[in-house]
Amino acid sequence: MRPDTLDAPEDDLVSRLQQGDAAAYREAVRLYTPGMLAVARFYLDPASAEDMVQDTWLTVISAIQTFEGRASLKTWLHQIVANRAKNRIRDRHREVALDTDDPLDPALAERFGDNRRWSVPPSARSSDSAQALLENNVLSDCLDKHLGQLPEHQRSALMLYEAHQHRAEDVCNLLDVSAANLRVLLHRARQRIFLMVEGFQETGEC
Amino acid sequence: MLMCKDLAVIASDYIDGELGTGGKLSVRMHLMMCRHCRTFIGQLKQSTVLMAAHSSQQAPADYIARLDEEIHRALTQGIGSNQGDY
Ligand SMILES: [Zn+2]
Repeated sequence: MRPDTLDAPEDDLVSRLQQGDAAAYREAVRLYTPGMLAVARFYLDPASAEDMVQDTWLTVISAIQTFEGRASLKTWLHQIVANRAKNRIRDRHREVALDTDDPLDPALAERFGDNRRWSVPPSARSSDSAQALLENNVLSDCLDKHLGQLPEHQRSALMLYEAHQHRAEDVCNLLDVSAANLRVLLHRARQRIFLMVEGFQETGEC
Repeated sequence: MLMCKDLAVIASDYIDGELGTGGKLSVRMHLMMCRHCRTFIGQLKQSTVLMAAHSSQQAPADYIARLDEEIHRALTQGIGSNQGDY
């Protein structure tokens, strides 16, 4: 479903990186930094995450020589960040505290009655396609805002799974979470986005 | 019997095809009878597509510029070149 093999353009990018081509680095930095930050921020505060990703890029300049293409470049880069971040928190005897106890967002949970049926059902709005919704700039900005407000753990999981198209197995590995916990993180994040879009379509406001 | 709230709990598992045959069947039975849950599943699916399609979460431009600069410096100072076994 989500192939993790080298495709030709990536192959080309790798060899240009190995040659120390500055333009290739600019390209790679733009392609892979958002995902690398998503991994780092799962473990670290935003400022430390940025520093760690910067350090990682500087390491990559020499490490790329030993890149063998067993994983995609994306996965390889994300893994370097994950390993460094895991070591960092291990050294500090810290643990990532996950909130995965409740699969339902509180704001959604309270919309069911004691009989476990909807008491405040989802509003049956126009059936705009996701594409049509995305063309709405105000909604697009609103989506940005709400994604920014998601708890760091949910956002990292969501970004790596949905936007960066990692396989669930890889996300579990990068974030050191169980498959069950990843499911909860994804589900909670999707509920936040559902609630946001619903509110936006009802009120026209973010 | 699977009620609306139970379905909401496993909605993402249903969407991602992570439910077993029995689970899938009870969700489908419920969806046939309950239009609220049909709406919910449809909209949760849509949220997922929105997320995947949305290329937000770009790294801040000034941060990217800083990375470009640091990498450029390292490259021109020769860090990284002639290292490794190649
Ligand atoms: Zn229902």
